[in-house]
Amino acid sequence: MNLTFHNKSITGILTVLPVNEVKFEDEIENYNFSVAKSLKLKMAMGYNKHRIVKDGVTISDLCVFGLNYLFDKELLLKEDIDALILVTQSPEYFMPPTSNVIQGKLGLKQDMICMDINQGCAGFEIGLFQAFMLLDQDEINKVILLNADTLSQKVSKRDRNSNPLIGDGASITIVEKSEKPNTIYANIKMDGSAFDALIIPAGGFKTPSTAETALMVEDSAGNFRSLDNLVMKGDDVFNFVQREVPPMIDDLLLKAGVEKQAVDYYMFHQPNKFMLNKLADKLKIPREKMPSNIVENFGNSSGVSIPTAISYNLGERLMKESLLICLAGFGVGLTWASLLLQMEYLKFNEIIDF
Amino acid sequence: MEIEIFKAEMAELLEVDSVELTDELSSFECWDSLTILSIIALAGEKYNVTLSAAEINKSHTVGGLKELIKLKMS
Repeated sequence: MNLTFHNKSITGILTVLPVNEVKFEDEIENYNFSVAKSLKLKMAMGYNKHRIVKDGVTISDLCVFGLNYLFDKELLLKEDIDALILVTQSPEYFMPPTSNVIQGKLGLKQDMICMDINQGCAGFEIGLFQAFMLLDQDEINKVILLNADTLSQKVSKRDRNSNPLIGDGASITIVEKSEKPNTIYANIKMDGSAFDALIIPAGGFKTPSTAETALMVEDSAGNFRSLDNLVMKGDDVFNFVQREVPPMIDDLLLKAGVEKQAVDYYMFHQPNKFMLNKLADKLKIPREKMPSNIVENFGNSSGVSIPTAISYNLGERLMKESLLICLAGFGVGLTWASLLLQMEYLKFNEIIDF
Repeated sequence: MEIEIFKAEMAELLEVDSVELTDELSSFECWDSLTILSIIALAGEKYNVTLSAAEINKSHTVGGLKELIKLKMS
């Protein structure tokens, strides 16, 4: 499905990462594989270190910390927030929405909208779409998009398939009506028939957590996890991404009438270096235009990965320059989405530690 | 599909000097999920076919894998 949005812009990005850093080597003994094999995996996938919350830290802690940082620095005024959109798969409760919890903790005005969206790897794109739609309202001038996840808490430490790459974090993206006219091109597709390609099988209403769902079981590849843990069908996800993402980007650029080489950066979701490099090659995009350095430095924090990639790779540059950026997220759902927008002169664009 | 080229590609992925079509995939020292993913990537890049991990495991041997790719190419 093709989407267009008019006269909207991103005016600031702040990424909040837990200060606790875990190295790949620190966890190598947990895996049921030889050290040599695990080190080979580390090289191929670009694993090195990842940021993991300490026990008890949840997403509202990260979001409130980041928003208070912006209030303190006078980069954002409390009373200007007309909507809080929180995209997460680590909500603090089934009810109420965690965005309401954050609103309450910060003492924001009542005259606003709080909304949780359950999305993951494409969560930055879905959140932007929702923000753009809200901004079509006369009384909504500033939307705060929060992407936040602490999925490390649901990943088995003995799962070499997912544990080395998982990361926690939150990002705060300010979305506003643009002063100068523009058109943002976007597209999105979904395939719920593959809903179990990335899943936490137990813990919801369908399969509540019990003593049985907590039992650790070895899979055919030698990883141990329980039904309470996140599980990913790595080969299916790889094939899905290589099959669906290149034509999605081709379609997007065709609709926008933009040549591939005119795009300054392809800021994609960060599953691992291997997958991103293959994707860049298939799209015939120079690898330096598609940064893939987030997993090795911070881990893959689901919908937070793209804001992290933007803050880390383009930090101050985007505060001084105007760049044409193509965003793409792909994964859990399955969901895949992309958008093309001019990003320029951000008020802030940085990473802070929690 | 050039058999000798395919064997050379497989030898590189399997981290040995050479392979025979009768060699069992799981007998290689380096055999694990990363090697399987590398085969999936190679099949996509060089032969334009999509393989799953289950299909690769079921093909058992280097020759079986070759047949699987050939079947999918046709």
